[in-house]
Amino acid sequence: MNVFEYQAKEAFRDNGIPTPRGVVIKSIEEVESAVNEISLPCVIKSQILRGGRGKLGLIKFVKTMEEAQKVAKELFASEYNVQILLIEEAVQMDKEVYLAVTVDPVTSKAMFIACAEGGVEIEILAKETPEKLITVQVDLAEGLGAYHINNLIFGLGLTGDIAKQFGAMARNLYKTFRACDANLAEINPVFITKDEKVIAGDGKLIIDDNSIPRQPKFPLMREYFDTQVEYEANVEGLPFLQFDGDICLMCAGAGLTTTVYDLVSDFGGTVATYAEFGGPNYTKAVRTMELVLQHPSKVILVITFGTIARADVMAQGLVDAIKIHKPSIPIVTCIRGTGEEEAFKILRDAGIEPLTNTEEAVQRAVDIAAGRV
Amino acid sequence: MSIFINKESKVIVQGVTGKEGAFWTQHMKAMGTNVVFGVTPGKEGQNVDGIPVYHSVRRGIQDHQAEVSMLFVPPKFVKDAVFEALDAGITKICTIADGIPLHESLEIRKAALSCGAMVIGGNTSGLISIGEAMLGTIPYWIERVYKKGNIGVMTRSGSLTNEVTAEIVGGGFGVTTLIGVGGDPVPGTRFAELLPMYEADPETKGVVIIGELGGTMEEEVADAMEDKIFTKPLVAFMGGRNAPEGKRMGHAGAIVSGGRGTVKGKTAAIEKAGGKVAKRPSEVPTLLHEFFG
Repeated sequence: MNVFEYQAKEAFRDNGIPTPRGVVIKSIEEVESAVNEISLPCVIKSQILRGGRGKLGLIKFVKTMEEAQKVAKELFASEYNVQILLIEEAVQMDKEVYLAVTVDPVTSKAMFIACAEGGVEIEILAKETPEKLITVQVDLAEGLGAYHINNLIFGLGLTGDIAKQFGAMARNLYKTFRACDANLAEINPVFITKDEKVIAGDGKLIIDDNSIPRQPKFPLMREYFDTQVEYEANVEGLPFLQFDGDICLMCAGAGLTTTVYDLVSDFGGTVATYAEFGGPNYTKAVRTMELVLQHPSKVILVITFGTIARADVMAQGLVDAIKIHKPSIPIVTCIRGTGEEEAFKILRDAGIEPLTNTEEAVQRAVDIAAGRV
Repeated sequence: MSIFINKESKVIVQGVTGKEGAFWTQHMKAMGTNVVFGVTPGKEGQNVDGIPVYHSVRRGIQDHQAEVSMLFVPPKFVKDAVFEALDAGITKICTIADGIPLHESLEIRKAALSCGAMVIGGNTSGLISIGEAMLGTIPYWIERVYKKGNIGVMTRSGSLTNEVTAEIVGGGFGVTTLIGVGGDPVPGTRFAELLPMYEADPETKGVVIIGELGGTMEEEVADAMEDKIFTKPLVAFMGGRNAPEGKRMGHAGAIVSGGRGTVKGKTAAIEKAGGKVAKRPSEVPTLLHEFFG
């Protein structure tokens, strides 16, 4: 789970990493007091989860209160669903550096990545100048040692007090990474200011999804999602994405659902919603259908091949969901796995034809959406 | 023959007295798995389906030989259970737990690597050597999916495995050993680490991998083929070819791999190494027939 920049910076500060002073606001009425607190000039940063905010014009430097008001208004009204702004002090910066801690699944260690030229997206650095990246691996059981830090700071060519400050930042970023059960803790850029201070210019923190139950500091926020229905589904643990297409996917298993998405595209169809009701959610057909029906679509496509998620239970759930929600659009089913004979009977008794071949079912749904059936 | 586990393998079950553990242990045994004892702290002296229960792995090991452990343990206790098994000298471990915290997954895999052991999972339904032994929650009784044959299968998913394996069997093939490495970002064992075992198994004539976007496990398979560590026919199917960018994919994978992680990139790597890549599940048997005639 990706969290907002202001949340990442709060976690950084909690672990001793210096950041610019900032105030978080959620409405235009709060601009004046926030700007007065930070003082002009300042930077107004849109809090959204996608990258490339600078290029999209979602981070603005302002010199006057009028300008701040105007910019804040524009950002709140932008097409990127900006609901939170971070008003931050402007920093006199001399140099930008990249620093992150992530995981290396092969060596099974934590891994620092650093680069003396920060500010650019790391993917671009990795592609264009991989030789400039410095990586340092840390065994979690062994913990972070002085030699790890030395390899970082001397690798970057830092000296004197700046090297000392950067070393402390790296230690504290590792602390943040561990304390937050992070998949990625990234500072891009680290600012080295004209008066030789090392501070976190930006902050990115991805919390491991499996660790969310033990990270109560990071609850799912409505602002992470574009729509209310995506938020509600995710709070209930139902993987759910919304698109602009015609076909509603109600499938089971991440791999199978992703494959059905691929097949729909290959066969010329488009997806309206991506909903999974497999695994621990296999008894939640009624609720899943309620959620998917909130978004207009032309056909519901149900494809499962479960083992513990029994086919007969899923088929009965689907029949119950139809009785309760009375969808006005057709439903194509391909429900197989444990108890499938019983599942086919349940569906037939409810007047639904049980298909057993995934590609045939996808083709049927695509044809219905295109008005060919 | 088979890999990882066969009918002679001596298996223990940690968490044997829980509802899920007891239910699936009976299925494992019914299929032929040689389960020698179970472990649940505080329940020594009981038995599950005739299997004696011990307080700890070390206590059971005093009375019985064993080299494999199946864990029916909730995610937050998996690390401790793995360390306990390793401490008692167990070398092959399987965990189906869905929700192991990432940093604990790192410690689990690192500990196993350090002592030359293997952990399969978590977030998997387990593994099966058809007709011989099973670890986990695999419905071996569904014959159109779990039929004996000459193809090794490695997978990152559950339902999709049933889908693809049904196609393999429907195409006239069968399976030697199917291993679900699991869907977590740091699986205990990676695809490429299992390839030498399939290479050495005379009964396995080829391997099917069921992968997906993200990570680098499929690229590592291609590397193993380029390095001639694996020389048998290989067919891959990978989900997520048309997945919209940025919706699910993480950042870190792309960083460490320099652009690796897309299905397009994975496909190119596997094809370059001499493997074949199916665009949809029904193409998997077609491509196997191209190899085997």
